[in-house]
Amino acid sequence: MAGNQMEIIDQEKVQYIVVKLGSEQYGLNISFVDNIVRMQKITRVPKAPHHYVGVINLRGEIVPVMSVRRKMGLEDDEYTNRTRIIILKLEVQGLIGVIVDEVKEVINLGEDDIDRNVQNANNRADANFINGIGKDGEELISIFEITSIVDAVETV
Amino acid sequence: MDISQYLDIFIDETAEHIQSLSDNIMALEQEPEDADTINEIFRAAHSLKGMAGTMGFKKMQHLTHDMENVFQEIRNGNVKVNSNMIDILFECLSAVEEYLETVKSTSDEGSNENEVLIKKLNDYLVQAEGGEVSSDDAGEGESAEEAKEEKPADDGAASDAPFKSIELDEAQKTKVTEAAESGLKLYGCTVFIQSDCLLKAARAFLVFKAIEDFGEILVFNPSSQDIEDERFDLHFSLIIGTQSEFEPIKTAICAVSEIDKVEYDTITPDMYIPEDELPKEEEAKKVPAAAAPKAAKKAKNKDNGGGAKQAKKASNKPVTARTVRVDIEKLDALMNQVSELIIAKNSLVSISTSEGGSNNSGFESQGFHEQIEYLERITTNLHESVMKVRMVPIETTVNKFPRMIRDLSRKLDKPMTLVMSGEETELDRTVVDQIGDPLQHLLRNSADHGIEDAETRAQRGKPDEGKIELHAYQEGNNVIIVVQDDGGGIDTENVKRKAIERGLVTEDAAEDLTDKEIIDFLFMPSFSMAKQITDISGRGVGLDVVKSNIEALGGDVEVKSDFGHGSKFTVRLPLTLAIIQALMVEVRDEKYAIALGSIQNIENITVSDIKYVQAKEVIHLRGLVIPIIRLDKLLDSVPKEQEDHNLTVVVVKKGDNYAGLVVDNLIGQQEIVIKSLGKTIDNNKIINGATILGDGEVALIIDVNALV
Repeated sequence: MAGNQMEIIDQEKVQYIVVKLGSEQYGLNISFVDNIVRMQKITRVPKAPHHYVGVINLRGEIVPVMSVRRKMGLEDDEYTNRTRIIILKLEVQGLIGVIVDEVKEVINLGEDDIDRNVQNANNRADANFINGIGKDGEELISIFEITSIVDAVETV
Repeated sequence: MDISQYLDIFIDETAEHIQSLSDNIMALEQEPEDADTINEIFRAAHSLKGMAGTMGFKKMQHLTHDMENVFQEIRNGNVKVNSNMIDILFECLSAVEEYLETVKSTSDEGSNENEVLIKKLNDYLVQAEGGEVSSDDAGEGESAEEAKEEKPADDGAASDAPFKSIELDEAQKTKVTEAAESGLKLYGCTVFIQSDCLLKAARAFLVFKAIEDFGEILVFNPSSQDIEDERFDLHFSLIIGTQSEFEPIKTAICAVSEIDKVEYDTITPDMYIPEDELPKEEEAKKVPAAAAPKAAKKAKNKDNGGGAKQAKKASNKPVTARTVRVDIEKLDALMNQVSELIIAKNSLVSISTSEGGSNNSGFESQGFHEQIEYLERITTNLHESVMKVRMVPIETTVNKFPRMIRDLSRKLDKPMTLVMSGEETELDRTVVDQIGDPLQHLLRNSADHGIEDAETRAQRGKPDEGKIELHAYQEGNNVIIVVQDDGGGIDTENVKRKAIERGLVTEDAAEDLTDKEIIDFLFMPSFSMAKQITDISGRGVGLDVVKSNIEALGGDVEVKSDFGHGSKFTVRLPLTLAIIQALMVEVRDEKYAIALGSIQNIENITVSDIKYVQAKEVIHLRGLVIPIIRLDKLLDSVPKEQEDHNLTVVVVKKGDNYAGLVVDNLIGQQEIVIKSLGKTIDNNKIINGATILGDGEVALIIDVNALV
């Protein structure tokens, strides 16, 4: 994939994993990512918050899995063979899986490449979950605010 | 030798001795004449004092020493036991506990001298003796003290102490000479240890330590190794090189407990240059040296041979079980590994069942099955062993309660007793450690709110003495702890009024509440029923905390109350926290586990067996009316197009309550490892964990206790 960019890692640049949700691209700060696994059987947990799809077995650990689509109020996930679960490792919540349609690549973005002025991107259902728009060449990548994604509060 | 390495042992053992003292003083109050109890107390107090002394906790030692004096007087029959004295003793015990707590947190005993208590103790003794002075024994205690005081006083002049006859080898001679040349003052001294001392080596060590604060010990006689190994009689001699005078050194040495006296003199290296007449001189010097310990022995023997007897007793004190203290984290790690092993075993089992009989030749597959069964046995046994290691009797937690109730009884001026049973019931260590506070709270609650004052009790025709009971026993995979009292019970009307006052419920709605629902208000945060806030209970951090603590341990608490006749709190705790036997069931295509311990039986019923009581589904089974819970509805499963005619019902039990869980299918019994769902998703009370099945799939565990 973006191998050429990997070679010119700049100290100030942060690595992002670029994933696809529908037609849009989103970036996840790689320092939160523990692992990426293929879609597997998710055990539904009754009475759990709606955006939690259920739990999976990650090498003997029970890991809750959430749907960003549900959280952001998008249409429900459609699992394909490109669907992945990104396992995030967070200080408070521990491991949490996030379902994405596709994992594309890893890119480096410096602060210059990110437009933090996203407040006026209103009316977007995901406005609360984005803390910037990254520019990677011609591509625009919305940078996820990870803490608000995994926040237990249902915003929709 | 470094003392800090003994600190843990000291803390553990001190706690044990305090507990034993507490128990026995309680017993003593009941049976003041019981010689065994008194001896036990004396022994514990003595050990306590000895240990405190060994560790250099002087204030603690001082206090325990004075306590011991009181016990001694009791043992000698000079002082009668009465509740006033027991009070003082308990106060002292609390103070000792305080020291221990301070030691625990700071490795030091703190600065509380507890002079007031010590004075109380001594006043009590003086008082008691004033009444009927049994001069002999009373005098004895003093004379021992005096001996301590007097002998050092005149030993400045002691010209024939053993230290003068130390034979120095070449190296020691050089050392002494060098020290003298470097301008240090040289002292020879002989330390005499009391004849009934149990830990001579430890005392000697403390003496060395005390001296080293002032100077250097140049010569040991016997050698320091011999002293450490306790290969010496009742005295040892030292040559000390120091800048200081000897007086402060002597004081420091005498501060070590069980030191009889110290003889010393300044010396010069020349004194140890061998002379021809040495043997003669030595002989002459030996006599008084031998006489001194003898005298000490005699003095001790006066107290009806107490010293000797006591030494004997101590030597045949019960041999403690051979144990190793293990860090709980290591056990947790071991437990996790066993869990992994069980998961691995389960997946082998599932492979063997899915492949069994298909393409394998009969013989091979049989061997495979046998091996798997073998593995299953081993893992089960291993698991049990690890579990057992983690299990401790609740005794350690509950045995402080009788004392607490006694204190409360006096404080509240309400006579009451605590009856306990099932202290030997075992629970996982972590549970035992954390169950203390909730139980204590329930007991205080009973003592404060439950038991009525004497007047009310008389009116209600109850015995004067209130009775609080604490029973523990095992039931299936649970341990039940019941706290009940024969007091006033819960005034539901009053609770209802309070609830309305607080706006928790409207007046109309309150009318329809069942007693149980009303009692549940008590478990709401900040709902205190105490009319007066006492320091015992009623601060509003009450039953809600009890409840949340118990729920955090995977248990629950249930209240039954009979107004005017008492109330009963039933605490239910899981026996194990990690691995259980479970029945796997299927609801639609989802698998769930139900703890086997709570399953009563399994019934096949037809739809027509279901009756309705108050619009709720029930079945009538062998005289029991059991409410039906449809798991598919409860778990929001996909609704079925057509309802089955035959239903499988798993009847579960919690205490006296039953419920029938309707499931689609039974899969079978399986050993499962309980894993937490994690904080983010664990916000419902139906599921209390998850487990990983042999094929790697996750199955949820249904929390029966929350359903029934």
